[in-house]
Amino acid sequence: MKKIILFCILLSFVKLEAQESFVINGIIKDAQNNETLLGVNIIFPELQTGTVTNEYGFYSVKVPAGSHRMEVSYLGYESISQNVEVQKNLNLDFQLNPAAQALEEVVVVDDSERLNIRQPEMSVNKLEISTIQKLPVVFGEVDVIKSLLLLPGVSNAGEASSGFNVRGGAADQNLILLDEATIYNASHLFGLFSVFNPDAIKNLKLYKGGIPANYGGRVSSVLDIYQKDGNSREFEANGGIGLISSRLLAQGPISKGKSSFLIGGRSSYAHLFLKLTDNENSAYFYDLNTKLTFRLDSRNTLLFSGYFGRDVFRITESFNNVYGNSVFNLRWNNVLKENIFSNMSVIYSDYYYGLTLDFVGFNWNSGIKNVNFKYDLDHYLNRKLNLDYGLHTTWHEFNPGEIEPNSDSSGIIPGQLIKKFALESAIYVSLEHSLSDKLYAEYGIRYSSFLRMGQEELNLYSEEPVIYNQRFGIYEKADPVAVKNLDKSQIERSFGNLEPRFALAYAFNDDQSVKLSYNRMTQYLHLITNTSSPTPLDVWAPSGTYIEPQKLDQVAIGYYRSFLDQDFSIEVEGYFKTLSNRLDYIDGANLIANDAIEQVILTGEARAYGAELLLKKNKGRFTGWFAYTLSRSEQRTPGRTSQEPGINNSQWYATAYDKPHDLSFTASYELNKKWDLNANFVFQTGLPTTYPGGQYRFENMIIPVYSARNSNRLPDYHRLDISATYTPSKNRKSNYRSSWNFGIYNVYARKNAVSLSFRQNQETSRNEAVRLSLFGIVPSVTYNFKF
Amino acid sequence: MRKILYALVILTLFSCEEVVDVELETSAPRLVVEASLLFNADTESDLQIIKLSTTAPYFEEEIPAVSGAMVKVTTGSGEEYIFKETGGGIYENSEIVAKPDVNYQLEIVYENELYTATAQFTSTPKLQFVEQDLGGFSGDEYEFKIFYEDPEETENFYLFRYLNDQVYLQIYTDEFTNGNQTFAFFNDEDASPGDLVQFEIQGISEGFYEYLFILRSQSGDNNGGPFQTQPSIVRGNIVNQTNPDNFPFGYFRLSEVNILNYEVE
Repeated sequence: MKKIILFCILLSFVKLEAQESFVINGIIKDAQNNETLLGVNIIFPELQTGTVTNEYGFYSVKVPAGSHRMEVSYLGYESISQNVEVQKNLNLDFQLNPAAQALEEVVVVDDSERLNIRQPEMSVNKLEISTIQKLPVVFGEVDVIKSLLLLPGVSNAGEASSGFNVRGGAADQNLILLDEATIYNASHLFGLFSVFNPDAIKNLKLYKGGIPANYGGRVSSVLDIYQKDGNSREFEANGGIGLISSRLLAQGPISKGKSSFLIGGRSSYAHLFLKLTDNENSAYFYDLNTKLTFRLDSRNTLLFSGYFGRDVFRITESFNNVYGNSVFNLRWNNVLKENIFSNMSVIYSDYYYGLTLDFVGFNWNSGIKNVNFKYDLDHYLNRKLNLDYGLHTTWHEFNPGEIEPNSDSSGIIPGQLIKKFALESAIYVSLEHSLSDKLYAEYGIRYSSFLRMGQEELNLYSEEPVIYNQRFGIYEKADPVAVKNLDKSQIERSFGNLEPRFALAYAFNDDQSVKLSYNRMTQYLHLITNTSSPTPLDVWAPSGTYIEPQKLDQVAIGYYRSFLDQDFSIEVEGYFKTLSNRLDYIDGANLIANDAIEQVILTGEARAYGAELLLKKNKGRFTGWFAYTLSRSEQRTPGRTSQEPGINNSQWYATAYDKPHDLSFTASYELNKKWDLNANFVFQTGLPTTYPGGQYRFENMIIPVYSARNSNRLPDYHRLDISATYTPSKNRKSNYRSSWNFGIYNVYARKNAVSLSFRQNQETSRNEAVRLSLFGIVPSVTYNFKF
Repeated sequence: MRKILYALVILTLFSCEEVVDVELETSAPRLVVEASLLFNADTESDLQIIKLSTTAPYFEEEIPAVSGAMVKVTTGSGEEYIFKETGGGIYENSEIVAKPDVNYQLEIVYENELYTATAQFTSTPKLQFVEQDLGGFSGDEYEFKIFYEDPEETENFYLFRYLNDQVYLQIYTDEFTNGNQTFAFFNDEDASPGDLVQFEIQGISEGFYEYLFILRSQSGDNNGGPFQTQPSIVRGNIVNQTNPDNFPFGYFRLSEVNILNYEVE
């Protein structure tokens, strides 16, 4: 109700604007392939006003009647500057030419950085796909997520860990959206590569803070990725052949200028790793991206996109493991009025995990399915006010596991772990407000609701599901006193939370600003894992009777400046985050195939704070950046009563991904038209770990005696990678273009520790500390082509 | 399962393991009690052993044996069995008999502190037969499936041991196999035809199953690595009555054990 009132108030003071003005709107596209461009700046310099295209390339701006100069500019493209005579509402579509076509000659100064200075948007990491494609990476496999790790505030829990950590948050707290659909597991081969085919991606943005109200459901960050629409002018194909995988992407018009298709595939070579040609072992992954775009008329567009990816591991007949995401989504863009853009999405997303273990004798299937409906509106009220509002709703279905015997002799009784259901919904309003020509604000509010629906056999306990056994000094499962069955159409428990968001930018001038943001986020889903980085078989648990939603508050401040004719830019940010209801696990919790997770979890809290610096050189033959993050990420799980020790004696301890110092240096140098040289260097504090303080022997096993959790650290991590891209001169007669990428990962072959394990040597029977390092020096070569 | 994933990651990569020097702090020593009283109807000997030791610095080769402790087991009905020290931290008794549904209490007095624990006898079914196969990652590992019949009316937990040159442990619950004929699984890459090996099944309590579950996750190759579980202090069922903070490690249990000897084919 409050929101409706707020909304009415907003609408009413909008009407006060008296001057006669008109709306200019349109779509901005790439002139070559008709891809819509998002984030394009539209500026009216004399009016000191402007706007930016949205995710679908649409813009709308209200200007007074008269003749005005209008500038359209976008990083990497030639700008357009023209006079427009405004006497009525106008529909102006623009097509921008890529700057590379502009033959040495710089046409107009790039204004894109300038406007960002004034936008309240902060704590956002953006990387151009073209930049990502040049960065040196392990095995030469271009990787979106690994590239983001080079920016401040983003790290991961070691070289082979899946997922990423943003500002001291856990990997399950990132909302990863691919064309608006949630991706649950973003990595292939247990974290070596990310699931995103770089060729199919148009744009990506990582929100680390100041998260706008249109996003919700995860507390730490939002990684918003949009796939290309497909070239609606002419057919084109590109691809690459690498050491690990090969890719091919084709796109072209279905009906010229109106509709297009895109289909891309990527596959690794099945036997490459295992080099065991005489048996059936294999480990490979593949994925498929598709997109169909139909521009019905100037007001309506239909977009259909799909993603399908799988990882497969097979060891003879005894072990067979398949997992991956599939996502299908239908979107309808509709320009309701000249100043109202709407997008409706219907999304089906499915994460599947299957396992056959012959030596235990079972097949295992688990997964998450959800159906998601989103309706978002961008309402361009006037020169000073933009309003975004919308409605999201998702039906979640969790299948924690279904077990069945894989043969007659197995003795396994078929069983189904209890399925869980939930309905998650949200409404939001967000307002962008130019308070003056120096002060810009964005305020929003999101109301999220989570209905945990009924399940079979919900355990009931006389007190808590976890009890503290004072005698042995351990936490134990409580025995359920009864079970409750409730149909999935009935509500087991409901949650509702208000999530205010707020961001403010004050621009001293065109080159300098300070920003402040606050966001509250609520996350109703929890990844149940007690390992330092998620594994594909970890299950998600919805909040309910025994699990409270995670709630996060983040405050961030920043200072932004560009200097030397915008050649350089500097961003400094500080943040502080607190998180309540973070799950922690009692000692020895068995999380696999556990139908009563509530018996092994305790609720704690987490906090993270830090400072980030990003110094960038944006223009010239030499470009690159220096990023440094100083941060802490800690958690604590106190006892529920003064008698209980909690976890780690109720003390704060470092999370598994706490890296106080994280520094990276990335440089790119255009030697000549054929050769591009790239290098990056990273230095990070070693990850937390726990060393044993002693040992004892029991049942022929050597048992280490551990002390306080994560109180030790692995050695510091550092690495230098280099790469060179060779682009032969274009053959004038054909459209075929190609390039070679040569890389060396970990140039000075540092043996960075992924882990230190303490164990008994099988031969000498002596205890030893063993350092595991994954990659030595790894050379790579990739061939890319386009026609 | 995580171990398999971990092995996969390792094997599939250019990984490298190296022994390194690490400076460790040493925590204060604690008493370690291995009071596994195993009863087998088929054997003549009734000798039961309780081993006492203390924790040692991690890289120390010798585990200090405990001498001079008083060790006894009593029952609620007044029976008392004194365990005599025979050296090397071993305490022995041959009189003790295991009866179902009787509470056995262990009492140890060591350095003027009293340690106690209670346990009941857990029975177990017999081992039936072995199925042998070649498999594993490289296809030349010996794989053994040892079959047994799980009793339907009770919730059961088992400890299996496979003894060749080394001793291998596996623990099982009947959560997914209750009342069925099922098997325990061992693999051994060092076995060869003609080896005389031994399989053992022991009935254990749920508490000891959980204890071993954690213990195994903390020892050996399971620690470290991207799929590691959080290291923790693992406490068993023995309590220091005099000074609870100086808690001991280890476990007191009474288990039926059945044995199957087997020649590798």
